Amino acid sequence: MSNFSFLNPFGVLDEPGTYMGDFYSHNFAKKAAPGNVILNLGPQHPSTHGVLRVLTELYGEFVMRAEPVLGYLHRSHEKMAEHKTAYGFLPNMGRVDYLNAIGWNWAYTAACEQLAGIVVPERAEYLRVISAELNRISSHLVWWGAFVLDLGAFTPILYAFDDREDLCDILQRVTGSRLTMNYFRFGGVGEDGDERFFSLIREFIPRMRERLKMYKGLVTDNVILRRRLEGIGPMDADMCLRYGATGPILRAAGVGHDVRKSVPYGIYDRFDFEIPSYKDCDNFGRYWVRMEEIEQSMRIVEQAVEQIPQGKRIMDKAPKPAWKIPAGESVFSVEGARGEISVHVISDGGKSPYRVKLRAPGFSNLSLFAEASRGTILADAIAILGSLDLVIPEIDR
Amino acid sequence: MTTTDAWRDAFKEAGALAVTRPDPKKSGLALSAHMPAASLAPAAEKLKAEGFTLLFITTADFSEGFLVTYVFDSFTEHRRMALRVLVKDKSKPELPSIAHVYQGAEWHERESYDFYGVVFTGNPNLVPILLPGDDRIPPPHLKAPDAIASIRTLGFLGEPEWAVDGWELAPEPPKAAAPPAPKAEASGKPPEAGAAGKAAEAKPADGGKEEGK
Repeated sequence: MSNFSFLNPFGVLDEPGTYMGDFYSHNFAKKAAPGNVILNLGPQHPSTHGVLRVLTELYGEFVMRAEPVLGYLHRSHEKMAEHKTAYGFLPNMGRVDYLNAIGWNWAYTAACEQLAGIVVPERAEYLRVISAELNRISSHLVWWGAFVLDLGAFTPILYAFDDREDLCDILQRVTGSRLTMNYFRFGGVGEDGDERFFSLIREFIPRMRERLKMYKGLVTDNVILRRRLEGIGPMDADMCLRYGATGPILRAAGVGHDVRKSVPYGIYDRFDFEIPSYKDCDNFGRYWVRMEEIEQSMRIVEQAVEQIPQGKRIMDKAPKPAWKIPAGESVFSVEGARGEISVHVISDGGKSPYRVKLRAPGFSNLSLFAEASRGTILADAIAILGSLDLVIPEIDR
Repeated sequence: MTTTDAWRDAFKEAGALAVTRPDPKKSGLALSAHMPAASLAPAAEKLKAEGFTLLFITTADFSEGFLVTYVFDSFTEHRRMALRVLVKDKSKPELPSIAHVYQGAEWHERESYDFYGVVFTGNPNLVPILLPGDDRIPPPHLKAPDAIASIRTLGFLGEPEWAVDGWELAPEPPKAAAPPAPKAEASGKPPEAGAAGKAAEAKPADGGKEEGK
């Protein structure tokens, strides 16, 4: 009986057809201790936020081992880049991470611009900052609603989507779309903000501030939520370093690293804002950091709307659709909603980039889940998974 | 370590073959070191001890071999650095894993294994990560024979600031008119290249252009 496993009732054999389950569950079950239950979460479970699958080995209610299984949304964006023109690849950037499309827009355009030495006009820089920060707020709002939903509170997600609706309306005015935004161009942005765009933003910010106060009373200070989050899922600075975790996870571990502040790109050095960080390394820290970031993003947007100069939205003689990236290599990082987004471009001067590597922050952030969830109870593992703010299309690319 | 020079010396000590200093304003990299495969882990240990994290691992297919690039960044120094290894044997690409130093490398290495078939020995769980595990397909990122470029003609790595005597990243093949020869040989060897080539054949035009450059 000791060798018996539900997944492999005939003993440990590697030939397909001799075991139950698929390749990954079989591979995972090989290391399972006898008597432990293997539970498969996802890929269609709502709490895995998209099509993520997590294999867990359970001893009673305790997670002994966990292994995320990725790839259900792999679309080969990196290979597509090698087959499209540099310009033709821009729409893909709105589709890598559907909640933070602008962050990816920025990382890719800036990597190419850096290599070509393109300087973006002032007004375009401001429009970039405004759209990126609004996009960050809407991403955090969706995360907030979905995360609290994971923990069993249904109402907040409806509030979150109400606010996000306003942001979609605002961003739609300039980007033309509500989700898969393709706004940045080499040398500027695709559309100038009109008076209505700015007045909508001015209306949105005070309203959002009021709402944040309500969220604090309704959700953040709720004793049930606190008990689900505080002290659960420790991820300290050393762990973040070993796994390459960035963004709110790193900041919740007490490391105040934010690319906007550490290596200011664009015009981020002109704004007065803070990088919230939290020392407890737990789920609540990650929650708190993101809620604070909404406020800080609003501060940046306020200043940018105040300071934005008149001028062109795109440089003169901006690259045309047939533009070729000059030969060379370039790495560029921006701070996305989930962490450090890096794009690495190798160009041979041909009409398509030779190689494009997309560094998804969620990929590195999720890789520490196996270690972070070890020894927790299953319900807490779900809370930890939610606190990582996963967007599966970004992880799978 | 506080200066880029100190890092150059540290990489020398760790066994680097050459160190180049790209223009940070253009490439976003402060330093790039070519390592022999065996020195990867010691160099990674050094970086980790100084608080660097592994941002990503990326592989690119060239006619001379697979260029595997490890990009590191620090949360305090903010100096992005790259370690590079050229895996010359394309029929049996192999590298030692650094997953025992940076646990996060495990997934990045699995991704390179998926896309290029590079085997990272010592990786604790070297199974496909983004591609299906039970239905192996040929590595999809291999370049088609007509689209592959040579590192030498590309020259994006720049002149080394320091190098081991007589070191050359990709020495010129002995025959003068060689470019087509290593190309065909290199991409013909792996059995998967045929299928990958089929996928890439949709764009035959720019391969010639790249070679001409």
